[in-house]
Order: sequence, then structure tokens, then C-alpha cells
Amino acid sequence: MVWSSDFPQIADSTLRAMSKGIDSSYLAFSRAYGASIEAFFEPLLYFLIWFERLLLGSPWWAVIAVIAAVGYAASHRITISIGIAIALSLIGLFGMWENTMQTMAMILVCTLLSILIGIPIGIFMSRSARAQKLITPVLDVMQTMPSFVYLIPVVMLLGIGRVPGVIAVVVYAIPPVIRLTNLGIRLVDKEALEAADAFGASRIQKLLRVQLPLALPNIMAGINQTIMMALAMVVIASMIGVRGLGQPVLQAVTNQYFALGLFNGIAVVVLAIIFDRVTQSFGLRLQKHREGARQ
Amino acid sequence: MKLVKKSYLAAMAVAVSAFGTGVAQAECGNVTISEMNWASAQAAARVDEFILKNGYGCNAETVPGDTVPTATSMTEKGRPDIAPELWMNTIKEQIDRAVSEDRLTIVGNTLEDPAKNAGEGWWIPRYMLEKNPELATIEGVKKNPQLFKDPEDPGKGRVVGCPSGWACQIITENLFRAFDMEEAGFNLVDPGSGAALGGAIKKAYNRGQGILAYYWAPTSLIAELDLVRVELAPYNAQEFESCIGVANCPDPKPNGFAVSEIKTVASTEFANNSPEAMGYLKARVWPADAFGKVLTYMETEQADGQAAAQWFLKNHEAVWSQWVPADVAAKVKAAL
Repeated sequence: MVWSSDFPQIADSTLRAMSKGIDSSYLAFSRAYGASIEAFFEPLLYFLIWFERLLLGSPWWAVIAVIAAVGYAASHRITISIGIAIALSLIGLFGMWENTMQTMAMILVCTLLSILIGIPIGIFMSRSARAQKLITPVLDVMQTMPSFVYLIPVVMLLGIGRVPGVIAVVVYAIPPVIRLTNLGIRLVDKEALEAADAFGASRIQKLLRVQLPLALPNIMAGINQTIMMALAMVVIASMIGVRGLGQPVLQAVTNQYFALGLFNGIAVVVLAIIFDRVTQSFGLRLQKHREGARQ
Repeated sequence: MKLVKKSYLAAMAVAVSAFGTGVAQAECGNVTISEMNWASAQAAARVDEFILKNGYGCNAETVPGDTVPTATSMTEKGRPDIAPELWMNTIKEQIDRAVSEDRLTIVGNTLEDPAKNAGEGWWIPRYMLEKNPELATIEGVKKNPQLFKDPEDPGKGRVVGCPSGWACQIITENLFRAFDMEEAGFNLVDPGSGAALGGAIKKAYNRGQGILAYYWAPTSLIAELDLVRVELAPYNAQEFESCIGVANCPDPKPNGFAVSEIKTVASTEFANNSPEAMGYLKARVWPADAFGKVLTYMETEQADGQAAAQWFLKNHEAVWSQWVPADVAAKVKAAL
């Protein structure tokens, strides 16, 4: 081999031995800890199933009414509630109610988890330059690594179904809420913090009463992005056995059923618009009082 | 003058000998072998390539392809000459027509005893069967949904079916209804992709858990994991085509999967012109365990067809030397 024309790569046998080593140590790991990791995620699975059954078990009109009411509570705009009711009724009319509710349950749980995990990480990141340096590349990996690369190992650990689906979605969707929480807190005016110091506020008081409220618009934008990215993962999640709108889309794609794909794709878009409008107007409402105060 | 004559004679001799080798090669000549895009077919193609090239002096090479395009090209153009592992079920009509028009010749089985060693099915791990011999048949499985626990629906059993969009999805769904699996307490779960299906089976097997899943053989997964097929009902072709294979068939009746015909197919032109190579292809019927070992090797070593063929020829001489006469075997061995 001429070193100048061929790249001097590691010998095939060494590479093979390396990948064999990685594979077999992963197998040993999953045999040793798989059962306990599965047990750890069991409460999450029960919660997911409970929530899905709640959505599917309740009468459809009650579900629509509750979602429209939540929309109104968040936005204080009756148009949004009416829009939600019409969109959901259309979805039901086209026979996609069950799949849509399954996807909705999944997305809500994933968003909740992302917020519960993401905001504390974002706060932690905003307080230390070193933490920011360490976490940023991890977030980059989570957003760019092709999902199937980590999905199949997760399937070998936890089997197919909702829990690996939630893991896949959260891994992909959590970075925006972390990044924007971090950014929002870092952008809080120094003067505001100095004033809080002058009043003798403790660290916790500063965080809860000054930094988080002022960072809220950014955090809300992060949550909004997280929801959108979670919805974008619906089809990928269906490739590891998650029920919902992703499965008919997948079926349509592999069979070239154009109309089936279109209907279910539109249902995903409708869900996205509902979530987006509700969270956006909730965010706007949170900022309203401040705009008034400034003027 | 004398000198000239001598060199003239020498040139003649060279020409004659060259002509001679030309004749020898014309018996075999250029051979193209179809290398399908899945593991077992790649290994089979590479083994044929090596033996035809080194044992029979053919100018053999492999060409990549998929089932339907390859069969079409063989029928219409006579190229590639050989398809070492052609799954007939999906393209039976096309092949039958080509055979009746004398364009293609079915040489023989690729794999020994295809009814036992090849094809689709619903599989369970052997350790489950040993613990509970009742599980050998679908009736026994139906009595024991608790052994195939569905983690997402406690109290019910689970059949891991065929991924969305694959042809087998329709068949699996209809069979699930035909055997009244739902009344027996089972859910049919869509794994979503081939990778997830394999992952789910491996996960259950590595933990010694219960699983009932759709899969097919010969594959490295089946060879490696020691799974056994659950006996469904006997295969009924007419009922299968009119109902089980049709989406949303109103009243599916119990049925089984068709025996997969996996054949070595050659273009008739090649079959007529290369009797020696045809003799080899006829004799070359893979024993199931050797085939399984090659697939396991490919999986564990992450080897391609070429490397797997080399490994097989080096380590399993007892198997392949049965396929060729002694002098050819010696040539192949020398080339390794």
C-alpha cells in the first residue's frame, strides 16, 4: 500500500475486533442491567398508558371541550378555542381520532418530561461557564446524531414500544428548552440583579423572583420549539413500535399510499398548530404586564 | 531463413496454445452471478464465484441486484447467468413463464429441505418450547397468553407482527384474526421496522423472556438464536391467495405460511453451454447448519459476502468438497 495515495487506515481486522468488542460489551451490559433499567422506566410506562386510556376512554366531546378550555385558559382568546374544537372534530371525522389521541398523549408526556429535566439543566448551565462548555457539545450530539443509531441499542435494552419511543423523542426534543433557558437567564439585565442584591435577595429568591420571570419569554420559546421537535419525531418513533399518527404515515410511505399519508400528515400538522398557538399566546400573555409596566 | 522459420514455428505454437486455452475457457467463459442485497445471498454468490473461477476456470464475476430486476434481466437479456438464491414466491408467475419459454432453467434448491429450513413463520425461543411442549402449536400458544406478556397491556399476550408496509403485514394481520388470537388474549403489535423487530426478538432472547414474533429464515438471527417455528394450520394455497394475502379480508380461515421456494436459477443459454458449471450448481445444495454458520459468521464478524465466502471455503471443506469432483476441489483448495 502506498501511503501517499491510500489513507493509512487502521487494519480491517483491528476495526472488526473493535466493533465486536463494543457490541459484546453492550450485550453484556444489557444482560446485566436490562431488567433493572426496565423496572426503572416502568412508572413512566404506566403513566403513559394511563394518560392514553384517559384520552381514549373519555367521551370524544368531553376531550374536545377540555382541550378547548385549556386553550382558552392559556390564551384568553375564544378564537383559539373554537379553532381547536373545529380542527379536532375534523380529525375525528376523518377517522384518525384514536391515532391522534395516542400521539397527543405521547407528545404531552414527552414535553412534560423535557420541561422537568430541561429547565433545571438550563438553570445549572446558566450559572457556570464550565457547565455550559460541557453541556453544549452534548446537546449538539443529541440534535444531530441520526436517531436510529441510538434507537436500536435502546430497543435491545427496553424492547419495542412507548418507553424507547419517549426516550428517542426526549433526546431529540429537549435541547431547545435547555438552550433557551440558559440563554434567557444569561440575558437578564445586570441592573435587575443588582437591584435584587440591594434588596438583600438570596440566590433562590433572585432565581425564582427575578431571573426566571424575566427569562420567561425565552423559556416559552424553548418549550414551543421542544413541542414542535417532538411532533417531528412521531414517524421515527413509530419505527420502533410506538402507536399513533406515525404508523399510518410509515405505512403510507412504504406502500406509496399518497392520500393516507397526506391525511395523517395533516393531522400531525394540526396538532402542531394547536400546540404552537396555545403556547405562543400563553407566552405573550405572560409578557403583557411587563410591556404595560415599561411604557 | 532457418532462424525465421524457427521463430515462425514458435509463433505458431504460441498461437495454437493460446487457441487451446481459448477453447478450454469457452466451455465456461464469462459468467455473471447475481449478488442480491441481503446477507445470505451475498455469501452464496461469492462462494459460487470463487469455485467457478478457480475450480472451473470461468471468468466469473458478481453483479449486485434485487429479486425482481434481476429476474427480469435474466429473462430478457440472459444476464446475469446465475441467480444463486432466488426467492420464488414473490415472482413465481414471471419465472414460470420464463421457464415455459425456455429462457430460464431452475437448477435446484439453494438450501436443503426448504420446508424445514426456510421461509416465514411465527417463532418462539426453543427454551420456551422445552419448558412447555404445548407451545409447539398455535393452539397451545393460545392457551398461554401469560407467557408472552405484553408490557404495555398487562394481563394480555403479545404477537410481535410484521413491520408496517411490508407485504407480510397483511398476512400476519389476517392470520391473527383467523386464529382468533384476540379472543385468546393477545395483542398484535407492529414493530415499525425490520431493525426494531430483530431488536425486540434479541432483547427477549438475551433475557430469557417470552416472545412470539414474525420472522423468516434463513437469517443470521434465526441461525444464531435458536428459535423454533410455531405450527400454524396447513398451508392452503387457494384460501391463502383469495383471503389471507388480501388486506381486510372479511373472514380469514386458519392457514399457514407457504413453503418458501428458494432456488438456484440459471439462464437457459448458460445452462446449455456450460455443462460442467451446471453440474456444480446442481450439486451445490447448502446444508442448513452450514448456511446458518456462514450467516452467524457474517453477523458476529460484521463480514461482507466476500469475507464470509473465504471463511466458509477455508473452514468447511467437508461441506463444499461434496459439491465438486476431486480435481476441482484440489484447484479450489490451491487457490485459497
